[in-house]
Amino acid sequence: MIDFLKRIFLVDILKGMALTFRYTYRKVYTEQYPLEKPKLAERYRGAPRLNNDPVTGETLCIACDLCAEICPEDLIVVGSQRDPESRKKVLTHYTFDTSRCLFCGLCQEVCPTNAIELTQDFELAAYDRRSMVWDRKRLEKGWDRIDFGKDYHK
Amino acid sequence: MNENVFIENLLIYAVIPLIKIVVIVLVLSGAIAYLTLLERKLIAHIQVRLGPMRVGWHGLLQPIADGLKFLLKEDIVPAKADALIFTIAPAISLIPAFLVFAVVPFGPPDMLQDFLGWTLGWFPFLNLDEATTERIAQNAIASGGYVTDINIAVLFVLSVSSVGILGIILGGWASNSKYPLLGALRSTAQMVSYEVALGFAIIGVLLVAGSLSLVEIVQNQQQEQLWYIFVQPLAFVLFFICGLAETNRLPFDLPEAETELVGGFHTEYSGFRFSLFFLAEYANMIAVSAIGVVLFWGGWLRPFPSFEWLNFLNFIPGVVWFLGKVFLFLYVFIWVRGTLPRFRFDQLMQYGWKIFLPVAMANVIVTAGVILAFL
Amino acid sequence: MKAMEESTVLDAKVLELNMGPQHPSTHGVLRVKLKLDGERVVDAECIIGYLHRGVEKISENRSYIECVPYYDRTDYIAAVSNVYGFLLGVEAMMQIEVPKRAQYIRIMMTEFSRIASHLLWLATHAIDIGAMTVFLYCFREREEILKLFEALFGARLTTHAFRVGGLWKDLPPGFVEAARKFIDEFPERVDEYEQLLTKNRIWMARTQGIGVISGKEAIEWGLTGPVLRGSGVRHDVRKDRPYGGYEEFDFDVPVGENGDTYDRYLVRLEEMHQSRRIIQQVLDRLPDGPVRGKAPKIVKPPVGEYYSGIDGPRGELGYYIVSDGSAHPFRVRIRPPTFISLQVLRRLVKGHLMADVIAIIGTLDIVLGEVDR
Ligand code: SF4
Ligand code: SF4
Repeated sequence: MIDFLKRIFLVDILKGMALTFRYTYRKVYTEQYPLEKPKLAERYRGAPRLNNDPVTGETLCIACDLCAEICPEDLIVVGSQRDPESRKKVLTHYTFDTSRCLFCGLCQEVCPTNAIELTQDFELAAYDRRSMVWDRKRLEKGWDRIDFGKDYHK
Repeated sequence: MNENVFIENLLIYAVIPLIKIVVIVLVLSGAIAYLTLLERKLIAHIQVRLGPMRVGWHGLLQPIADGLKFLLKEDIVPAKADALIFTIAPAISLIPAFLVFAVVPFGPPDMLQDFLGWTLGWFPFLNLDEATTERIAQNAIASGGYVTDINIAVLFVLSVSSVGILGIILGGWASNSKYPLLGALRSTAQMVSYEVALGFAIIGVLLVAGSLSLVEIVQNQQQEQLWYIFVQPLAFVLFFICGLAETNRLPFDLPEAETELVGGFHTEYSGFRFSLFFLAEYANMIAVSAIGVVLFWGGWLRPFPSFEWLNFLNFIPGVVWFLGKVFLFLYVFIWVRGTLPRFRFDQLMQYGWKIFLPVAMANVIVTAGVILAFL
Repeated sequence: MKAMEESTVLDAKVLELNMGPQHPSTHGVLRVKLKLDGERVVDAECIIGYLHRGVEKISENRSYIECVPYYDRTDYIAAVSNVYGFLLGVEAMMQIEVPKRAQYIRIMMTEFSRIASHLLWLATHAIDIGAMTVFLYCFREREEILKLFEALFGARLTTHAFRVGGLWKDLPPGFVEAARKFIDEFPERVDEYEQLLTKNRIWMARTQGIGVISGKEAIEWGLTGPVLRGSGVRHDVRKDRPYGGYEEFDFDVPVGENGDTYDRYLVRLEEMHQSRRIIQQVLDRLPDGPVRGKAPKIVKPPVGEYYSGIDGPRGELGYYIVSDGSAHPFRVRIRPPTFISLQVLRRLVKGHLMADVIAIIGTLDIVLGEVDR
């Protein structure tokens, strides 16, 4: 009987309506992305960077080729040359194809010197594919994010 | 003298109504545009998000941007479509939606009295003497808060709004594509069945009011000091549900159910023509709300006309009450959309024919019985 | 009337309708060729393969370590469980001991991924049936889980969650508190979805008696997971062949009665509660210790074959690994649960209306990335 009355007076529907009404005037969950930059986790695996020694400014990479070896997509190319004096490998060039990267993080895991690192930058879109292959200069600089600022969209 | 009578008649029967029509069409278009914004904002807040925020302050200019986008988009007529019908179908659907507002009373018959008496003085070239001005201002046709008051207004509304369905059917059929065709078939069946129940729901009110004129229906509610929602609550619920179905709103938006039929009858439409369908839907929404307010919620009357101690509310003009009530209706329309899932087609028909129609008929019979027995 | 002459649509008895691959409700790029009599479905044919990337073949050319990120991308909705299933197999073949803490965290994250996956399922299922508000409410909760993923794994969707022998890194600071906060609030949120759907007459009318399949038939079709449990068969790999330490936790396997869309809906809702229970227990009993066992740098399982099956959010997710003793798998065959449950679509939709097709696709909870691989 009560069930029948509940049906007639649309109780099920009114309950749902009450819920949505309560939500109408609550705080919203939206993050206004280009205006507010999200705070990413420290471990986030985004744009790559080839780190330099903060003191000497020289590259940390010892050209061991481990990152290129582990990469499932084989997208890292490490160029090296043996220094005739010290008999050490010296990095000559380094390219990283961000368009094919899985962002799996294996390269940064195997790197013995923490030279290659995936950073928290995630705005990797580009206008053409060629510019998605990053060379050493760009990797060392890191991603120069265009900061649109607050006024850009107004 | 003769000339004066001519000018007087011209003003009463042609110029002033024409101005009213223009004003209503303009206001309505703006209202529709902002109704879309209201819908997007409200639904967004129901869903704990923000809705449009970028164009103007909190997206206030969004409707204008949308309108421009529709105008600038390429207007595609599919190669296999029937070009003529395909192009006129949106107009067939939009025009009746606007026509309904010809008989909707936004305010009492003397709404513009003071205003007319005051403004007519601004036009010295008309050479109106005081008596004529007075007469014009007194004339209900000129000063009423509506374009016209015809004695079969309810029938007019019902018949004109069924013409709008034709646009949907033709649009769906002329696209010569499968999804729109299914949408058109659905909308035909749906609107035909719900129109019947809607009609019967309205008859309950008509029996109580004893008139088909929308103005008189409100005036009767004024005389009886009672909104008809309190007399005919069941009819109101039926009216509201059938109104949802008539305007293709969730939970009855089957003709355009985008998760089933992609876009239903307007799948093939783009650009400006699509926007006409879009406008028609929202105009219909406003129309149904306006009719509902007039029939059940006392039109331009303030709440509880019988309570003396609420008399201080009288300073708010009737038209504001009317618009406020329409706004409430629209709010509920949108709110329902934000809450409910969608019916399936056969269930919709079952509800229409097996529940709403019998209940509406029973309501009519009981109402008629009560009126015969006690009044 | 040009359109009339050319129109064969109107006089055809059976209307053939292509649903997808670009259709809002086919959950990706599924194409269903429907034969309709009016709105009634006479026949349906699934055409798949639009998202085929050859993951199984790719695996043969990668080392065991390198394969793992690709499995994120088969069932991208529940990437964590995919990786888990494969790694369990590799670890079993090589007899690598996974430390207790890592085991527990793996279980917790897999259950989180089950919740996230079910939330996405509920969201899309609801919006297919027209309840669009539930869609965004579910996404809000899913977002919280993705934030947890991001904090622990470093990515939100394609997480590359686990490594051979354990985890990449230990839990970040603040993780346990955030996880606790989430599971404390979660039941309340599920109640909200229930308030909007479970007793709603439209929802009930749309889902009850739709796509009914009996338990016996479901077994014959090889269905697993919630689709099978909705038909009343209590089958759960976590209980039947416990793996990875599931035997230490206490949880129920909900089953339905009628095997219709509504029961599958209830089963999945209850599964979210059960997952929450497991997470609660993990958080209460989380041991200390290392998170990565002793795993060799180069993973070379001995010659042999191994089948590792886990209970993914969509059913039994299996990896059949054949090793020839080298660092690359000789063959990896994935048993995708939704590829198998998609087969039953044709049987389920026959005789239903067109709108039900959408409800049934939704209730099977398919992910095309996994169907096509
Ligand atoms: S993140 Fe993975 S795919 Fe990308 S470069 Fe590193 S190893 Fe290769
Ligand atoms: S692993 Fe590190 S050090 Fe070795 S080549 Fe790559 S970036 Fe350089």
